[in-house]
Amino acid sequence: MQLYKDRHFSCEDCDGTVSGGFDAATSQIVLCQNNIHQQAHMNRVVTHELIHAFDHCRAHVDWFNNFRHLACSEIRAANLSGDCSFTNEVSRFNFGLKAHHQQCVRDRAVRSILAVRKVSQEEAQKIVDEVFDSCFKDHAPFGRIPHGNKDAKFAYREYMNRDRYYANL
Amino acid sequence: MEQLAERAWRPHQACEDYLSEFRHCRSFRNHFHHYYTYGTAPSCQQWKEDYHNCRKWESHKLAEAKDALQKSERRRLEEQKNFTPVWKLRQAPPGDWHRPLD
Repeated sequence: MQLYKDRHFSCEDCDGTVSGGFDAATSQIVLCQNNIHQQAHMNRVVTHELIHAFDHCRAHVDWFNNFRHLACSEIRAANLSGDCSFTNEVSRFNFGLKAHHQQCVRDRAVRSILAVRKVSQEEAQKIVDEVFDSCFKDHAPFGRIPHGNKDAKFAYREYMNRDRYYANL
Repeated sequence: MEQLAERAWRPHQACEDYLSEFRHCRSFRNHFHHYYTYGTAPSCQQWKEDYHNCRKWESHKLAEAKDALQKSERRRLEEQKNFTPVWKLRQAPPGDWHRPLD
């Protein structure tokens, strides 16, 4: 999947506090230039939206009609982008430790759905709960949940070794 | 001839890579992240065994070491796929991915 920054990224002013989005109709990642003020936040938003783009490219995701698909991609994006890191959660005053990451992923997936679709909180929660077990385990393309640079480095190393991998199993 | 092909097999990554995975797995940082994600401590023993089997294969070409290593890698791969996908995977990227914008 090849991305060109002139074609697949768009910096725009957005309403409210939204940081970004993925527009499947135009195959573009939208970055909200008026709501992103720090590099770390930018890195996270780009990673988050890239995961949506990745899902769009590798699967038949019905963004507009299938809420389970939408929920699944949001779960994966919250899980794998660093959205739910301990430090980010603490900065939101969400203090949790034991398996808190999963709670955060659920909550943020629900929030993301509510931001783009007209459904009730209960409905969004129900859909997220339905697909959570499956989607939380889907760590493509990393092969693991990248919690930091070392994880990302090792994931990249595995990716570079993949041909050697499949030839030797 | 077949024996030559057998001995030409190599593990999917350098043995030092298994060791670095083991050390990373055992680090405090990784323990913290694992507890924060799953509420349990990570299990790292498999990386250590894989490292030893990798070294055994490289030094002595032991068939048991190779089998154990292959089995471990296959299990790791299976674990990564241990879920029912919510969607159907594509055979090729979407046709309009590079379509010019108006």
